Amino acid sequence: MNETAIKILVAGPSGAGKTTLIQTLSQSPVVNTDVPCSTASRSTTVAMDFGQLQLDQYAIHLFGAPGQERFDFTWEVLLDGSLGVLLLVSGKDATHFPQARRMYDYLLSRNPVPLVLGVTHQDHPNCWDCKEVASYLDLDPAAALPINATNLESATELLVRLFDCVERA
Amino acid sequence: MAVAEELNSVLGRLRAAVPELSAALVATTDGLPIAHSLNAGDANRLAAMAATALGLGRRICETYGGGEFRETSVSGSEGQMYIYSAGSKAVLGVVARLGANVGLIHLEARDAASQVSQILERR
Repeated sequence: MNETAIKILVAGPSGAGKTTLIQTLSQSPVVNTDVPCSTASRSTTVAMDFGQLQLDQYAIHLFGAPGQERFDFTWEVLLDGSLGVLLLVSGKDATHFPQARRMYDYLLSRNPVPLVLGVTHQDHPNCWDCKEVASYLDLDPAAALPINATNLESATELLVRLFDCVERA
Repeated sequence: MAVAEELNSVLGRLRAAVPELSAALVATTDGLPIAHSLNAGDANRLAAMAATALGLGRRICETYGGGEFRETSVSGSEGQMYIYSAGSKAVLGVVARLGANVGLIHLEARDAASQVSQILERR
């Protein structure tokens, strides 16, 4: 990998919008490993997503982890060498928060890299406030953003926020 | 005959044909076990890993222009695991100790994978 390429891990519970975020941000065709989900009417990632973009002088490589806990062995592999983590959580369903918490602990106990939280599904009428989700995860509210994973500007804002955290760290 | 029974009998025949196998399992492409015959180990874990290997294998094949993914293998100093595509919905994984007859494993397991595929596609 060349010196200026930066690896970022996109993690979060199933259905948070990780694959969508990578598709929104990537400037090259995304490599994904989606298959139909046996337990829900959508698709699910089984190995990884991979997308690339150029932000200012940085070449950024985005690695998306599968959300379901049975694929937790991939998280550690994908985390290796990452500069930081974008943790996505759907704000429409609080039942996903404990899994986000476990994922957060799993990742940062292995490699304490900077992490920012993106709370997705903001269009949902009962979406949780991103500060509430941050407080559930014991995260600095400044490291949390409400985002729209399908919107390039919103997704880029989350990435920029991660870079701010990296600079401060 | 119920699907689970049919799949179990495919796995039973496979293990009888290749006694060196210590595990054989069928999982969904999203990593849930459907049928398994293991001497030891966790079927849920193995199923998830087989699906990951299949998913990654498919994309690797696509990327280098290898056509439709068929199989992949993971070999260690003590043993090996072979992972076969079994139609659009499933994956077949078999584990063998070191020194097992790889030719025989492939011969029998490819046949078993195609039977699994037929059983599942019929539904």
